[in-house]
Amino acid sequence: MKTFKLFTMLTHSIYIAENDLRQSFKSVRHVVWSLLFPLFMMFTFSFRYGVSEPDISFLNFLIPGIVGMTAMFGSINETMSIVWDKSLGVFDRILAAPVSSTSIIIGKTMAGAVMGVISALVLLIVGSSLFGVSFVNISFVLLIVVLASFSFTGIGTIISGLASEPREAMMLSNLLRFPMMFLGGVFFPVEAMPMPLPYIARALPLTYATEALRAVMSKNMAVVLFDATVLVAYTVSTIIIGSKTLMRLMTR
Amino acid sequence: MEVAIKVHDLTKCYPNILAVDHINFEVYGGEIFGFLGPNGAGKTTTINMLIGVTKPTSGTTFILGHDVTEEPVKAKEHIGVVPDVSGVYDEMTAWDNINFSAKLHGVPKEKRATLARELLELFGLYERHSDRVDTFSRGMKRRLMIATALIHEPEILFLDEPTTGLDVQSSRQIRDMIKELNRKGTTVFLTTHYIEEADQLCQRIAIIDRGKIITVDTPEKLKTMIQAEHIIEVSFDHAEGIADELKRLSHVRDVVTAGDKFRLYVEDPSETLPFIFHFAKKNHLKVTSVNTLKPTLEDAFVKLTGLHPEVMAIEKEHVKPARG
Repeated sequence: MKTFKLFTMLTHSIYIAENDLRQSFKSVRHVVWSLLFPLFMMFTFSFRYGVSEPDISFLNFLIPGIVGMTAMFGSINETMSIVWDKSLGVFDRILAAPVSSTSIIIGKTMAGAVMGVISALVLLIVGSSLFGVSFVNISFVLLIVVLASFSFTGIGTIISGLASEPREAMMLSNLLRFPMMFLGGVFFPVEAMPMPLPYIARALPLTYATEALRAVMSKNMAVVLFDATVLVAYTVSTIIIGSKTLMRLMTR
Repeated sequence: MEVAIKVHDLTKCYPNILAVDHINFEVYGGEIFGFLGPNGAGKTTTINMLIGVTKPTSGTTFILGHDVTEEPVKAKEHIGVVPDVSGVYDEMTAWDNINFSAKLHGVPKEKRATLARELLELFGLYERHSDRVDTFSRGMKRRLMIATALIHEPEILFLDEPTTGLDVQSSRQIRDMIKELNRKGTTVFLTTHYIEEADQLCQRIAIIDRGKIITVDTPEKLKTMIQAEHIIEVSFDHAEGIADELKRLSHVRDVVTAGDKFRLYVEDPSETLPFIFHFAKKNHLKVTSVNTLKPTLEDAFVKLTGLHPEVMAIEKEHVKPARG
């Protein structure tokens, strides 16, 4: 009976996640923000030194940064589906279905993380094949991308739990994403930033994601392990807070 | 008779407002039960508590014997819900919407397609099943919402303001469908602020105002409750500021303005009519029409709640989500 319950719960979560993701891939708004925007940033910044003379060391710096950033955009975008669901009345409908609140939370979290990972992988494939950037150890890269996606999903659920309508959610998430994008070591190394920006950067999960991805490439395992630990801590705490905000949303 | 929904002392208190105030009622299996009241009366809050979307501050709801707060999943297995806002994904096709609902309600895979097709055909939407919902008219959307709510063949269907915002024809269609569903055995709980609709559809009505149930009865009994009263509906060529004077006429209990007409609640029309003509003559007014009316449900509603019928006409402001 217990295992049966767990099984139904997971099936519900998968339905919810699958439905969310299916919607997102059909939505222009979503594809633009999760894929086109990071691709655009990648191409723009990769031309820094002109096309004729590509700067390999800079590309080796840029592409992993973009991959981390894409995980952030993909995950946070996906979690915004909660706010859309609310404004469409679909959220109430899901709540009125014989589905436990835990299933809903797990489903939405899965969707966010999967979207982060998928978008990041697309950018990773495009980036490495187009610019000849080698990621050296793909399993570690995957580990970091998954952890980063989960921690961004947690942040996304907190935002969507707090926002009352889609525009507010977009505003809140951009307020977070854009500074994080420029301070998270995607385009400029954190060490090169003037004081006190490095301190701010050190508070952002994106900084650890980009640093870890680069460390995988330079085989600096100590840094990878440290950053991975920080990301785990971020994931656990943001997902706990995120689930609490969602739970509050569901028990009005 | 079997009790489908049992509500005991249900209360919802928000920080600044007592939205629902210790209400008690029962809905019997197989009936259409209506919650009638103006906007802000607590109808949506009540329905949300019954379907387990909102947690009550106190009190209990039983759906076919299952406590909604204690065993929400069990209770929810028996219900279908049509919320007052859209409730379907605009960017998905009708087919995908109904299928998602089927999955959430645990409809077995092999039955999903047949059931979905049957329902879409019943609601006249099958030809459009692979079209995105944002290409649908409001009436079609509402029909799709009802279809999606029925995919797991629920015993009880909840509808929150099923015809609000629809044109006359779509509204009639929806009402006919509700009647048809009920004929086939589905218990229906609906909220409405259209008195006419409650009168046409419901076997029993609860009148709710400011979070309190004023009375629960059949539409006909509600009407006979005020049968002792008669109404004279009269209009004059000038209508400014005479309502109060009409009220002062002898034998007139109350005056309600309805458009350019005045409704006088009296005990005996033959007693009052001469006074009305005398009043007109004295004030140099021409009587343009006089009617004596049988009490309508609206009259009963006005009598029972003390609310002006025009309050009911105030539509709820739906915030239409903007696409960002």
